[in-house]
Amino acid sequence: MPEFIAKPASLKELWKQLPSLPASRRYLAGGTDLVTADNAGAETSECWVDIGDLPELNGVRETSSAVFIGSAVKVSELERSAPVRKWCPVLLAAVPHFASPSLRNMATLGGNAANASPCADGVCALVAEDACVSLALGGKRRRLPLKDLFSGPKRTALKKDELILGFEVPKRPHTGAYLKLGPRARFGISKAAVALAAELSGRRLTRAAVALGSVAPVPLYAARTSEWLAGRTLSAETAAAAASLVMSEVSPITDARSEAAYRREMCGVLLSRALESLAA
Amino acid sequence: MKNEILETKDGLFTVTVMVNGEKKELPVRNSESLLDALRRHGWKGTKKGCDTGDCGSCTVILNGRPVLGCLTPAVTAHNGEITTIEGLGSVHEPHPLQEAFVEAGAVQCGFCIPGMILSSKHLLDNNPMPTEAEIRKALDGNLCRCTGYVKQVEAVKKAAAKMARGRKK
Repeated sequence: MPEFIAKPASLKELWKQLPSLPASRRYLAGGTDLVTADNAGAETSECWVDIGDLPELNGVRETSSAVFIGSAVKVSELERSAPVRKWCPVLLAAVPHFASPSLRNMATLGGNAANASPCADGVCALVAEDACVSLALGGKRRRLPLKDLFSGPKRTALKKDELILGFEVPKRPHTGAYLKLGPRARFGISKAAVALAAELSGRRLTRAAVALGSVAPVPLYAARTSEWLAGRTLSAETAAAAASLVMSEVSPITDARSEAAYRREMCGVLLSRALESLAA
Repeated sequence: MKNEILETKDGLFTVTVMVNGEKKELPVRNSESLLDALRRHGWKGTKKGCDTGDCGSCTVILNGRPVLGCLTPAVTAHNGEITTIEGLGSVHEPHPLQEAFVEAGAVQCGFCIPGMILSSKHLLDNNPMPTEAEIRKALDGNLCRCTGYVKQVEAVKKAAAKMARGRKK
């Protein structure tokens, strides 16, 4: 860990402090990725800026059209949040798959996004929820679809010192599922994960969004599959066709966790199970 | 520290923390984990297993929630409240969870037990009569290499029952 950890008390204080801090610096929120990387020798910044308790990044708020989830909200808090329970079914379904209870008490969605791992469960779910991410750098604010934040494994569109303020999930009645295939039922990194958000009118999908984890260089929004699903009726045929379409949309690799061909196959299986779970 | 703003540089920083109900001023190294700091200051019940956030043996309760000491920079615990296994009970006056773990035979080498018990304590504090599924979910992330988890689940059930009887008295 670096010799220098700064902890500003507010966003205003943060922007004031930054210029005086060592140039080699990173934000620290839950620490579950950063400290692990540090222990492995992969993180060598001279300074960490602890943003975990910044009031502006904490809390879940509801506006007339969206749920705003602060970037420093702990993953375990999501389960207890009434707006998340009501409006973010995919994210809620992903929480039990996210690491372990103690890690969920530390980890934040902002860190999950900033770390930009293709296997990030929280991010994959938020992409299916059609979330936008709000960013700030000094007085400058910008907002982009979360799926556009990622440019490669561990690479994002974040500028130096740009801070993730939080995520906006549009309020619309929908249902969803999060299915993950890992080395065991819980507490493991995924070989493949599928997040599905769906607006249903009876058995007809009026709108669908499919996102996948661990099967592309980034948490993947499956645009073609999502578009194809809109307007379809839930059935075994729809599930089978969506499964084969999604398999053509992913680009998994073989690594320590799994093999490319198996991952591709499992994307189809998980999506078809997710669609079946909506029909049930 | 100035105006509640933490700024660590050059060596040691003194954190003010409540450990097991007692206020302590602990000099910690800026680059030290909470786990290493607690052990160095004598709370050796907090175990160092993997040091990578995988095994759960360094679990402590920080500000009401179980967290992993190995992934928490010690300085970030400043102004916090910590419960370690030493805060639960003693050899002569064990906590019902500690008794139940012994009675159920849930302890073999014992290394994972402080973490298991603190995760269980947090569960029972919030959910005094958990289901088996809830117990298993709460202990997810506390790895044991000896006993295979059945006895620990049994121990938490026993402790819940003991504590319920205690409340009725």
